[in-house]
Amino acid sequence: MSALTRWLASPSLRPFVLLAVVIVALVAFDGAQGRILNRAILFSVLQQFATLGPVALGLGLTMILREFDLSIGGVMSLAGCIAVMFGAGTPAFGIVLALAVGFAAGAAQGAIMVRLNLSSVGVTLGGLLTLGGMAYVITENKAIGYDRMDIAMQVNDPILGVFSLRSLVALGIFVVAALAIGWTRPGRDVRAVGSDRRSASVAGVDTGKIIIGIFAVSGTLTALAGALLSYSLAAASPVALADALVPAAAACIIGGVSLSGGKGTPLGIAGGVLVLCFLRSGLSAIGLPPYMHDIVTGGVLVVVALLDAEDLQRRLFALSNVSSRHA
Amino acid sequence: MTTLAQSKNDTVGRLLNPAGRRKRLLVLIRVIALAALTAVALATPGFLSLPSMLSMLTTMSFIGCVAIGMTFITLSGSLMSFALGATLSVTTVVFMASLPLGLAGALLVAFAFSALITALQGFVIGYMRANPIIVSLAAQALIYGFVTFATGGRGIYPEGGETDILKSNLGVIPGPLAAFLLTVLIGQFILSFTRLGRHIIMIGSNRRAAEAAGIEPWHAITAAYAFAGICTAVSAVLMAARYASGDMEHGLGCDYHAISAVLVGGTAIGGGEGSALRTLFGALIIAVVQGVLLLNGFSTQMQYLIVGIIVLAVIALQTLGERR
Repeated sequence: MSALTRWLASPSLRPFVLLAVVIVALVAFDGAQGRILNRAILFSVLQQFATLGPVALGLGLTMILREFDLSIGGVMSLAGCIAVMFGAGTPAFGIVLALAVGFAAGAAQGAIMVRLNLSSVGVTLGGLLTLGGMAYVITENKAIGYDRMDIAMQVNDPILGVFSLRSLVALGIFVVAALAIGWTRPGRDVRAVGSDRRSASVAGVDTGKIIIGIFAVSGTLTALAGALLSYSLAAASPVALADALVPAAAACIIGGVSLSGGKGTPLGIAGGVLVLCFLRSGLSAIGLPPYMHDIVTGGVLVVVALLDAEDLQRRLFALSNVSSRHA
Repeated sequence: MTTLAQSKNDTVGRLLNPAGRRKRLLVLIRVIALAALTAVALATPGFLSLPSMLSMLTTMSFIGCVAIGMTFITLSGSLMSFALGATLSVTTVVFMASLPLGLAGALLVAFAFSALITALQGFVIGYMRANPIIVSLAAQALIYGFVTFATGGRGIYPEGGETDILKSNLGVIPGPLAAFLLTVLIGQFILSFTRLGRHIIMIGSNRRAAEAAGIEPWHAITAAYAFAGICTAVSAVLMAARYASGDMEHGLGCDYHAISAVLVGGTAIGGGEGSALRTLFGALIIAVVQGVLLLNGFSTQMQYLIVGIIVLAVIALQTLGERR
């Protein structure tokens, strides 16, 4: 039991242990009907990975810095709407415009935090409301259709059976991010700033630049996910993508990112995203209603929030002390 | 007496040192902004008419009650909750579903239910020091999941008018407004005059110092969340009565409106500084802005955007007074 707890609590192993548990549980529940381990499920998992992955990666990078980007729902809706509204002629132009807006939104919020020495929760909350408001204003609160069905097909067409253009882009981003965080100097600086900002600053890291940079990356990745998803659905609306925060945060903390900063890797975040995507596809494949996904996600979030809680050890220790004294 | 003298000394000291200059600048900006808003509001035709005022204040009251609850969460150092909107919705459902117990029974069930599920989050956050944002996101997912499981996603529309009494007004004052003002008074009383209130603010401004002073933070944090649940229930029963339904749509977006009112009122996002009265003013400012925009023919979308910009500006301005 304690070995299992330690495994689950170890942030680098946790997502993959959980992923194995989820898959085994789903297969067991399925009862050898072959509804879980097949190509269609893998394709659907990767399609969801394509949307949730980049968003979770962006949020996770800000969490590694010990910040929190609440604005992702706003960026995602705004980017999706912009891509669909301006990308009918040249799809690439819509994507580039959406990415530019995401980059600018993230960089601006980062700059406000750094220059005014503000907490990210406050600034990105304001950013969320402002960017979400912009999405409402440019669409006049209506769903916008995208006339390019060819593009919608193209981004979703299966490649090699299980991939699609969207999921390959997302997987590529994770590879780049993993290499950048693990092997480059800015990547090391990000981890340093996250685990101890003052020491990093004393050691010569430009912490302000790192923070602005990571928020710009978060905005860009979120915008990419929003734009590609809107292309693939051939529609966008200001409300549709606004609730990305819960699954993204869940994926990050399942993936071993700690809210106290400095911990977590892109690989772990990818694992966390896969856990959620397998749950969603698997639960619907074995015929469970969609609300089960909310309940399971919520339950997993509670468990991980407890495992990560700062005083868990102390409280458990106190409890076991009391009980042994009574025994 | 001593506290009064001390606070007076404080003010004098703040005005004399350089940080005081920034503080005065901040006050100046606030006064100008408020004066401008008042001028625009008074110049807007129809703003001062009784029906438009009353409808503005009534709309404000539903969000306002939740905002008072959110104030307690923010003050205690737990930033904000993403679960109050879901709590409001589920409480309208629970309230309507328990009407067979009679109105008093249903009210009791609704208040107890809302206080309990919110206090439970407060306990996990206060006792285990779990992250408040994650816990509230988890609670939100769980509430939506379990309610959809229980109701199949349909709202509850009871026959009969047992809840009509909750729609009545106090003379010219709309019922929701009266309930909101009462909530503000109770909230402000707790914060200013009770030990619980002082503990909440102490923990929010410096948890470690509060612990060193012998305060168990989780007691006050759990109580702050329980109170937030009660405030949310006030809004929930009034909304359920107004729309004669219990529905998961009622609380949508409510978390964001509530935290906007808290921050615009000037309560610090990091906790430890703020009050229920400030949130009342925050809610009032947002309501006036929305009213002015509406009467001047701006769309609802534009209202979202402008309120967002105001929140961002207020947060940015807040540090002007705090930075050393």
